[in-house]
Amino acid sequence: MPQTILETRNLVKRYNGFTAVDDLSFEVYEGEIFGLLGPNGAGKTTAIRTIMDIFKPDEGTITVLGEPPGVVRRRIGYLPEERGLYQDLKVLDVLVYLAQLKGTSRSTAREQSLIWLDKVELGDWANKKVQDLSRGMQQKLQFVASVVHDPQLLILDEPFQGLDPINVDLLKGLIRDLRSEGKTVMLSAHQMNLVEALCDRILLIDDGKGVLYGDLAEIKRRHAPGTVRLRTSDPLVELPGVIRVEQRDDTYTLTLEGVTAQDLLRELLERDISVGSFEVATAPLEDIFIAVVKERDDA
Amino acid sequence: MRRVLIVARHEYLVNVRRVGFIVMTLLVPLIGALGLFVAAFFGGQAASLLASTFTPEEGNIGVVDQMGAFTPLLSEYEERISLYLDEEQGRAAVREEKITTLLVIPEDYIETGKVIIISKEGGFGSAILEESDTLRAFFVDHLLRDEVDPALRQRLANPIEPVVVSLEQEGEPEGGPLSIILNMMVPYFLGMLLVMTIFVSSGYLLQGVAKEKTSRVIEILLSSVTARELLAGKVLGLGALGLTQISIWLASSVVLSGGSAGLLGISLPFMVRPQVLILGVVYYVLGFLVYAVLMGGVGALGTNQQESQQLAGIFSLMAAIPLMVSGFMFTNPNMTFVRVLSWFPLTAPTMMLLRMPMAEVPMVDVVGSIVMLIISIPIILWAGSKLFRMGLLMYGKRPSLRQIARALRQA
Repeated sequence: MPQTILETRNLVKRYNGFTAVDDLSFEVYEGEIFGLLGPNGAGKTTAIRTIMDIFKPDEGTITVLGEPPGVVRRRIGYLPEERGLYQDLKVLDVLVYLAQLKGTSRSTAREQSLIWLDKVELGDWANKKVQDLSRGMQQKLQFVASVVHDPQLLILDEPFQGLDPINVDLLKGLIRDLRSEGKTVMLSAHQMNLVEALCDRILLIDDGKGVLYGDLAEIKRRHAPGTVRLRTSDPLVELPGVIRVEQRDDTYTLTLEGVTAQDLLRELLERDISVGSFEVATAPLEDIFIAVVKERDDA
Repeated sequence: MRRVLIVARHEYLVNVRRVGFIVMTLLVPLIGALGLFVAAFFGGQAASLLASTFTPEEGNIGVVDQMGAFTPLLSEYEERISLYLDEEQGRAAVREEKITTLLVIPEDYIETGKVIIISKEGGFGSAILEESDTLRAFFVDHLLRDEVDPALRQRLANPIEPVVVSLEQEGEPEGGPLSIILNMMVPYFLGMLLVMTIFVSSGYLLQGVAKEKTSRVIEILLSSVTARELLAGKVLGLGALGLTQISIWLASSVVLSGGSAGLLGISLPFMVRPQVLILGVVYYVLGFLVYAVLMGGVGALGTNQQESQQLAGIFSLMAAIPLMVSGFMFTNPNMTFVRVLSWFPLTAPTMMLLRMPMAEVPMVDVVGSIVMLIISIPIILWAGSKLFRMGLLMYGKRPSLRQIARALRQA
């Protein structure tokens, strides 16, 4: 059983009668990348702010690294959604100050800041003022500010917002590196494809409520609507259990009912239909999300 | 505590390098220097003008002695005063500017006391002459020269040489009028200094808080330190900054005004009653802490720097209230109104600084106000950091009173 780093139980946060987070319970395990997903306004940032002890929850409990929120600050790194750094200070000075507040010594803070600036290709900017950096650069700098004190748990609120594809890739690589070093990362995002590529486990929020929670691969398998993608040069005859066929050039998307993909493949081989490629399709997370939300709305 | 010091150090170092701070700090001494330069340039002329207006030229006085008691002149007056036989001769001497003023002493002087003073322009110079000690002595000496010995004549011309002893202030009188003035001035000066420090450093505190709020750095900071640590650090750092600025201003004023003011500054603490000085420092420190903490909390409530400054202005005004009412205090330093202001933590520091030197303040007021201040500082820090925390995360809108009350309730 992996160790629990972060746990919330029945978390509720209301503003002026509006419930931003509604009975949210989840766990984040050590060494994983955990995704907090949901459309804008779903309550992701509010949930993160209660975990960071910036807001007090109205109900429920939170345990971070074995303590209530606000007790362990040094071993947590935080990239808030509302971005900002001291614009008129030098890049290096900002990083050193923020790391010192997290309990890092001045010399270590300096050393680590320079190492991390190199990692995000900002090594030449250490002695420039923050305001001289472009938006994307400031975004990366902000990420560095959240990791420079070597935290055990990293909480990133919309880390990919405003980054170009090249820097998105860079950041994804850095987050994966952190996981392989044994760090735990929790990130929020509304771009499902990014989360799909990065996260081990997810929690999907809608209107402040958790609607999907668990291992990402497991979720996708659970929600896969028996779809198979088949490429063949032979004409496709009617097959048992296939209720729908979509064709684009020589690729067919088959929707199955009552049979498994395994059954279908056997059938194809028996009928000696040439198989160029055969793939059990999992639904994109986005489709799952839309389906789940629709289901909730109908209910 | 370590993080408080890191914040304090950061705030100090960042702000001490700001162009605004450096300009502000240098501007005051520069203006002072400019003033001195102007004064030195035009000052000589102005000084001689003043001197000629207020000091009659006593060397050139003529006397027409119709009464007869002034002839011959006593030898000690011969240098400055000359006798004329009749008024015509005297008037001619005034016209020819041999003398500036002519005194005609009529025959019936003893009965009427009338003396006719004739000068070219008349006016102020001759009016002053009437009050002059020399003239008084001149009359006493001549009228009584045969009857009274010189020592008594001198006493008659100047009968009172005052030495003031106060029974309320125990012990012997300390150093005369200068010490009394210093006893009042030093605390008044400390009071002004307190108000100034509050304005200067609360200005920086507001600026810093507003900037962190608009630049959104605040959320990162609050993920590392508590609002209370952050506020305390800012208060310490910016307090040190305000003191730096005021020290530079003071030092420059000592240098500019030359040795005399410098000497005065150094000797001040010795001349003031020690209990006034010690209590003054206590009130100064407590007062600064109360206000700085308050400013930080209030400053975070505004949506922008301007709004924060307006909110903070209300409180700055409170520190200045005692300065405004100091006029009343001269007449009655222990009146109820003054005592109420002495107990209220926001006015206590300045009030007590002003009040202590004027009269023996009842011990209960001293102890009471200090206890009130010491109790209120942690309370204001606690409430201030709540407001700070709430205000900083509310972008673009000012919290309602209900929200403020709610934030204070939440532990």
